[in-house]
Amino acid sequence: MHGLYNFVRGPLAWVAFILFVGGTLYRLIAMLVIARKKDNVVFDYFSLFYGLRSIFHWIIPFANRNSRQRPIFTIVTFAFHICLLAAPILLLAHVLLWDESFGISWWTLPEGVADIMTLIVIGGCIYFLWRRLTQPEVKFVTFASDFVILAIVAAPFITGFLAYHQWLGYKFWLILHILAGEVMLVAIPFTRLAHMIYSPFTRAYMGSEFGSVRHARDW
Amino acid sequence: MKRLRIGLLIGMTALAWVMVSSSIPAYSQEDITSLKDEAFGKGQRPPAVFVHEAHNEKAEIEDCNVCHHVYKNGEKVEDESSEDSRCSDCHNVKKGYPTRPLMKAYHDLCKSCHQTKKVGPITCGECHPRKAASSAHEAEEGH
Amino acid sequence: MAEGQVIDGIYFNEVWEDAGLDEGTKKLTPEKIEKVINKVLEGETGARLKVYVDTCVHCGLCSDACHYYLSHDKDPTYAPVAKVKQTMWEMIKKKGRVSPTFMKRASQIASTQCNVCMRCAMYCPFGIDIAYIMSVVRRICHFLGITPLYIQDTAHSHAVTMNQMWVKNDEWPDTLQWQEEDAQEEIPTLRIPLEKEGADIMYSVIGPEPKFLAQLLYQAAVIFETAGLNWTMPATPGWDNSDMAMYTCDNEIMGRVKRVHFETARRLRVKKIVMGECGHAFRSIYDRGNRWLAWKMHPVYVEHAIEFYYNLLKSGKIKIAKKYEESVTLHDPCNVMRGRGLYEMARYVVNEMCADFREMEPNREHNYCCCAGGGVINCGPPFKMTRMLGNRVKAEQIAATGAKVCISPCHNCHSGLEDIVSHYKLGVHVKFISDILYEVMEKPGAV
Ligand code: SF4
Ligand code: SF4
Repeated sequence: MHGLYNFVRGPLAWVAFILFVGGTLYRLIAMLVIARKKDNVVFDYFSLFYGLRSIFHWIIPFANRNSRQRPIFTIVTFAFHICLLAAPILLLAHVLLWDESFGISWWTLPEGVADIMTLIVIGGCIYFLWRRLTQPEVKFVTFASDFVILAIVAAPFITGFLAYHQWLGYKFWLILHILAGEVMLVAIPFTRLAHMIYSPFTRAYMGSEFGSVRHARDW
Repeated sequence: MKRLRIGLLIGMTALAWVMVSSSIPAYSQEDITSLKDEAFGKGQRPPAVFVHEAHNEKAEIEDCNVCHHVYKNGEKVEDESSEDSRCSDCHNVKKGYPTRPLMKAYHDLCKSCHQTKKVGPITCGECHPRKAASSAHEAEEGH
Repeated sequence: MAEGQVIDGIYFNEVWEDAGLDEGTKKLTPEKIEKVINKVLEGETGARLKVYVDTCVHCGLCSDACHYYLSHDKDPTYAPVAKVKQTMWEMIKKKGRVSPTFMKRASQIASTQCNVCMRCAMYCPFGIDIAYIMSVVRRICHFLGITPLYIQDTAHSHAVTMNQMWVKNDEWPDTLQWQEEDAQEEIPTLRIPLEKEGADIMYSVIGPEPKFLAQLLYQAAVIFETAGLNWTMPATPGWDNSDMAMYTCDNEIMGRVKRVHFETARRLRVKKIVMGECGHAFRSIYDRGNRWLAWKMHPVYVEHAIEFYYNLLKSGKIKIAKKYEESVTLHDPCNVMRGRGLYEMARYVVNEMCADFREMEPNREHNYCCCAGGGVINCGPPFKMTRMLGNRVKAEQIAATGAKVCISPCHNCHSGLEDIVSHYKLGVHVKFISDILYEVMEKPGAV
């Protein structure tokens, strides 16, 4: 038990974080390099002001037309993404690990709140799964990989939830939780979860084109 | 015994067990079954399960200052111990300096020893079980 | 026939006969396809395509943006992202090893089932530019010789004559003189100044105007004359600002056509180009052609008719005699609304001219595309029903206003809307702004 736990919490965690950070940097740098080489126009038309203006209208729920037209989706996806980011970063148990390893710590969520947020993430995954299975326009463009990605995202939260509540097989779920978290971290730069990395850029570029060239709104 | 002491020296930097002597004098050390420290107030998790006598017997700890240590100028004083003062006298709940904060002191002291000896709980739920103490005993003994 | 069919394992949601597509496909070989796809992907695309493809989370949120999708009762094969799935994703995944039938379908999608209107870019949370991806598909189809016949013919016309309609060099000044003479009966002092170097404005129009919409030249001349402007039109090739090569993604021809246009303006040493009520021509001068020629923005200031009329009315150079009484609605053409943000100016102009203006819903940059733009109407009669079936929502949108007249400040939209209005029997007249402006403006010089 000590050995396995220490392995997933130690060396494997290092590997996961290195791949996550390294992979993210690699994707970003690769994007900028080929943009320089083959798509130089994106730099010419890029505008910080209009880029931010566009991002602003898309990170606020109901600040753009599409999100107003799909209120349920908007609520789910915003709740999902906020919880997805905030719960792990501000989780007491996670921050304690950072403190233990590196002596750094920050404000944490009350555990009860984090618990609810975890359920929101799991609920969001179920909603997305339901869309993929039933909504024709989503189903048509859904591949097996989309389900795998959904599972990768759901797994750390499901296992974390089970481990936190210690109902049955605490240590088993805990180890699985750590592994699932590591898989997700590594998956971010190397799967479509890369939208986490790219989306500010695609949004800002479209915002720049619309703002400074087209003089039109893009929300 | 000696190995244990060396192991502890490597692992820890500061801490004191308090409850035994000063805070609730009515208790004797036989009564201690958890590390319920009043200084924390109401914690988010139940206090860590800790059966003082059984633990020390099993871990073969005889010297109080393995845990109830005294530090002077950053050095542990070998033949002094601090079971007559509270942990929180030196380890503030919030402020770390110059000693480590109370929770971290507990975590580091327990876990570093468990890690070194490769026995005893090292994960959250093993020390802070949601269910009654019984499952914690399992955790305690299940190494 | 409009029913869906599976041909050689590829699903076609509509099947039409088109010589360009059908004959072109017969000449394709897998080797040629593979070579061309990879040549375009490696040689001409870069970060944008890659990032768009990698970022898309297959969420389908862009679906509701597309009038094809909405008009076909949410048939998922018409959703914007579905168009990428049926074209680019597959090409990238298979590294170009796709079948001739696949390419035929890809060309059908990119050329006739997408107006590159960019509405979906405003509905995708990431701003993924599906119109751009469809343009890359068109580019591949162009190299493979499977562009629909009619629009390909138009592109050939551009290549040969520098105008869209095979208008001969003598036909053009001839038409202008004829319009000038006609207009002089109304305003005796009126001229259509040709080749006037140093004029303030070069007025340019699209090929179809001299061919079969000559009254627009007449109306424009009356507006210029009345406003007392120092203007001119070129007598040489370069007078046509339209550009179907842009829509077949024959960028080389697009570049030649735009170069001639800009150089003509430079030769005449004008301060700006004012162009007639056309959307795609505006896009080609303002957005695409200049980029191909490595100009960040247009080298000569380009003013669309909407902005031009706006300035004339605002400054009082043109006054309204009596407002137009009939109820009107306004169609916002993609290329000058999403493409240039002229929506408030257009509303100012319409409100100045008309007494009873009714908004369509949704409007401004969210307006539904006319389904004619992006070169789709130029794919000609074989695909007329694609446009009719693909834009029921537009018909419903117009009908809901109850207006008797639909103003459309764009040629593509104008023709497309006329088809829709008659197909859905809306009983609405489609008019250009200049049709109404000419009718309601004060003409002090008229006899
Ligand atoms: S027609 Fe317009 S909305 Fe539909 S896919 Fe093409 S660009 Fe997007
Ligand atoms: S293009 Fe955008 S909206 Fe459409 S499926 Fe992809 S990510 Fe979703």
